[in-house]
Amino acid sequence: MIQEDSPAAVQRRLPLLAALIILFIVILLTRLWYLQAVKGQYYQDQAENNRIRPVKIRAPRGIIYDRRGRPIVENVLTFDISLVEEDSPDLDATIKKLSSIVKVDQDSILKLLEDASNIRTKYEPVKIREEAPWDEVTVVESHQDDLPGAIIEPEHRRHYPYAGLASHQLGYIGKVTQAQLKQKQGDFGLLIGQGGLEKIYDKLLRGTTGRRMIQVNASGRKVKDLGIEEPKPGTDIFLTIDLDVQQAAEEALGSRAGSVVAMDPNTGEILVMVSHPNYDPNLFPRGITPKDWIRLTNDPTHPLYNRAIQSVYPPGSTFKIIVTLAGLESGVIKLDDKVACKGFIKSGRHTFRCWKKGGHGPVSLHQAIVESCDVYFYTMAERIGFDRIAQYAVKLGLSNLTGIQLPDEKPGLIPTSAWKEKKTGERWYPGDTYINAIGQGFVLVSPIQACRMISAVANGGHLYRPVLLKQTRDRETRTVKTFSPDRPEETHLDAAALEEVRRGLAGVVAEPGGTGHAVQTPIATVAGKTGTAQVIAQKVPGKKLSESTQDHAWFIAYAPVENPKIAVAVLIEHGGHGGAAAAPVARRVIEEYLRNAEQKVVR
Amino acid sequence: MLSRRLFGNLPWGMVGLVLTIALIGLAAVYSATYTARGPSHLYYKQLIWISVGVIVMFLALIPDYHTVGRYAYILYALSLVLLVLVMVIGRTGMGAQRWLAIGSFAFQPSELAKLSITLALARYFAEDPKQGGYGIKDLAVPGVMVLIPLLLVLKQPDLGTALMLLLTSSLIVMLAGIQLRSVIIVLVAGATIVSLVLFVPPVKHKIWGSLKPYQQNRIRAFIDPSSDPLGRGYHANQSKIAVGSGQITGKGIRKGTQSQMAFLPERHTDFIFAVIAEETGLIGAGILVLLYLTLLLVGVDTARNAKDRLGVFMAGGIVSMISLYVFINIGMAVGIVPVVGVPLPLVSYGGTSTITTFLALGLLLNIQTRRFELFY
Repeated sequence: MIQEDSPAAVQRRLPLLAALIILFIVILLTRLWYLQAVKGQYYQDQAENNRIRPVKIRAPRGIIYDRRGRPIVENVLTFDISLVEEDSPDLDATIKKLSSIVKVDQDSILKLLEDASNIRTKYEPVKIREEAPWDEVTVVESHQDDLPGAIIEPEHRRHYPYAGLASHQLGYIGKVTQAQLKQKQGDFGLLIGQGGLEKIYDKLLRGTTGRRMIQVNASGRKVKDLGIEEPKPGTDIFLTIDLDVQQAAEEALGSRAGSVVAMDPNTGEILVMVSHPNYDPNLFPRGITPKDWIRLTNDPTHPLYNRAIQSVYPPGSTFKIIVTLAGLESGVIKLDDKVACKGFIKSGRHTFRCWKKGGHGPVSLHQAIVESCDVYFYTMAERIGFDRIAQYAVKLGLSNLTGIQLPDEKPGLIPTSAWKEKKTGERWYPGDTYINAIGQGFVLVSPIQACRMISAVANGGHLYRPVLLKQTRDRETRTVKTFSPDRPEETHLDAAALEEVRRGLAGVVAEPGGTGHAVQTPIATVAGKTGTAQVIAQKVPGKKLSESTQDHAWFIAYAPVENPKIAVAVLIEHGGHGGAAAAPVARRVIEEYLRNAEQKVVR
Repeated sequence: MLSRRLFGNLPWGMVGLVLTIALIGLAAVYSATYTARGPSHLYYKQLIWISVGVIVMFLALIPDYHTVGRYAYILYALSLVLLVLVMVIGRTGMGAQRWLAIGSFAFQPSELAKLSITLALARYFAEDPKQGGYGIKDLAVPGVMVLIPLLLVLKQPDLGTALMLLLTSSLIVMLAGIQLRSVIIVLVAGATIVSLVLFVPPVKHKIWGSLKPYQQNRIRAFIDPSSDPLGRGYHANQSKIAVGSGQITGKGIRKGTQSQMAFLPERHTDFIFAVIAEETGLIGAGILVLLYLTLLLVGVDTARNAKDRLGVFMAGGIVSMISLYVFINIGMAVGIVPVVGVPLPLVSYGGTSTITTFLALGLLLNIQTRRFELFY
């Protein structure tokens, strides 16, 4: 009798375990013998003839539409000629033959293969000739047997039919870089958003790559389809931009460097966003050539720069809106108080001039806004104090990022006495108050900030976050998701003060002596403010100054006055006088938008 | 103590056997992951894993295995914590959440869990002997002990490992001795639960509906590989072609057309045996299988010579575990077992799996070495 707690009680069952193990091994050995010895030749043939491999099927990227459903970025089907190294027994011969057909020399082909070699996996095709012309495609297709390993790959290629239109906003796509490959942001050869909205909404637009299992013959050509995993196309997106108005704005700005931003003051939806000079995003999808890249980055006019959000300028007289609000709210400015403008004001040894040589004579607030009297605002700003003015500027979103979904926005600058002391070690002089009050000196504002500010004036003090995405649409389910505006930041500005500003701005356009007559249009009433910002470069001695001596021209406006539907900011670098250069551009934008404003979005 | 006597008693033959298998595995990983630019970094990583594993194996010799037995429940509890942790903060790989990131390394708690459950069961059965086999009530505690980690692993979802946990613990229970009546009850209960989940609409809806689509796909593909023609069914078929085309002598290292192609994404892990069979043929594959046989029978012998119940159960449990992994993995590569994705012990690429296996074998050696010692 074996005791139950002795090991022997368990050990007598060990032969069972041993038997099981032996059974396992015998089964495996028998199976191995069957597969390898009995059926070996059969599987050998299978291995040799049945070459099966997965081929990626790229998903078409989502289409980008304007707010009325017109495509502004689309896809076109093109054909690429690629090479699968492993399928070519004599690679040199294939490369030689290939280079005689396609317009790529042998060294370039070798370089392409070399570059791809440490990031691709085996049997992954390397693109030799992208967007190959039809005759090359047909020759490669008909010379299959002489070109083992060369294949034709269909590809949905991004196409920007309006070339440079809104290029900074739309962005561009490019091949996954090696760094992005490491971070698993995509697989070898995938084209992903590398700039602008293409990058910001890449996850939506991209879709999911599918797979096809194909059986290929000895030279790597498809013999049979074995199965398919359909790609999931990217989601379409609808922007808030209006194509017609955008085109009108681009046209009106023409070859001048500058920016136009227009938004719906009631929602923050961006209707127009132009930055000139622009670039052609069609250069990027197949990999921009080094020559083009150097040309773009070294261009002294900085075409890659998105001036609407990345460039900041002195706001010029448009800043008087802020001074007015600060003055009215703080009670310093009384509507009937008049300031006598003699054409200049003296502060110590310095003289500060009004833009009108002989002076405006005695001016009230309304007249000062309409005629943009500098002396009036010098005087009032001194009484208000610039730090208080700065508070109102910040309240209206200046010196803060607007939060628009685009990369690398710049905040601009609203100076205060503390800021100046810290930055320069000097105290704030009365002269600083004067020049900053008319939007010169340290104050810097981006076009989108200016547009957002004038929107808030138009809508009664609500500061909306500018948005570019209106809705998305799933390509397969047709499900539409619409994005409503964020709750605006409230400025809590006094309604009466805002009303007074708006009366002034309407006067700028409509009243005799107003500086903004050029924006007048028969289809709606407009309110606006001109700005002419002196170029700092003027003061730099020893530099050769040509066109850059000209002032920057600003015009910010909204329309219709009674029920604002659009707010616009126009900035033209070295454009000269705001009323003469920028106001006509604003008029084009307002006219184009209001003419079609009643039309609904097409789904 | 790591005395001279201990080293003298060390079965060097068994150590040699383990190292031979591990080196065959390393060569296979080298071949399977070789790139146009030379050996892949995975090869060097596996080299490190094996080195660490060997050290771990010898370290496992130092404490008396009774000391290990004393810590079995703590190790078990730790595994549970890690499994819960992986659910909360784990890294997702290939649709399942089964990795914990430690620095730049990925740690797979389910691999540690398989060993700690074996040890915990060994201690439980060693301390609770039953005359005439275990009845159904006696199995309640060990049943729960297995069920908790099993459900956690299932949730990842890692059906393969869950299945292995179930099979390994069943073998240990068999070793412990179980009444025939209990076997029948367990089988009937299991069948009832499975059919409830699969066929009764409200239950099925509740459980099935709570799964994410990708989880449903994995389970569907597990039950019916042809529902996933580009996935498991495809792998199984390609693996069979690889093994068969190796014929008697194989195609030579790095010459396997199937293995060197990109068709098997898991050729250095789950399908490593297909690479060996293709490149070294029936001779190489046969030798590897026989090496496993020898190692496992030496393991059974260790259990036979153990001086107490704990030793028997620990050795028996470890042998059961390894033999099941070997059988299921190779069975998968030769197309007689569904593709479940479990590693081949000592051979498949993978840090946690390699080190855990070495740890288990170290314990086996430990028991073997102390077979002459008296503990009372």
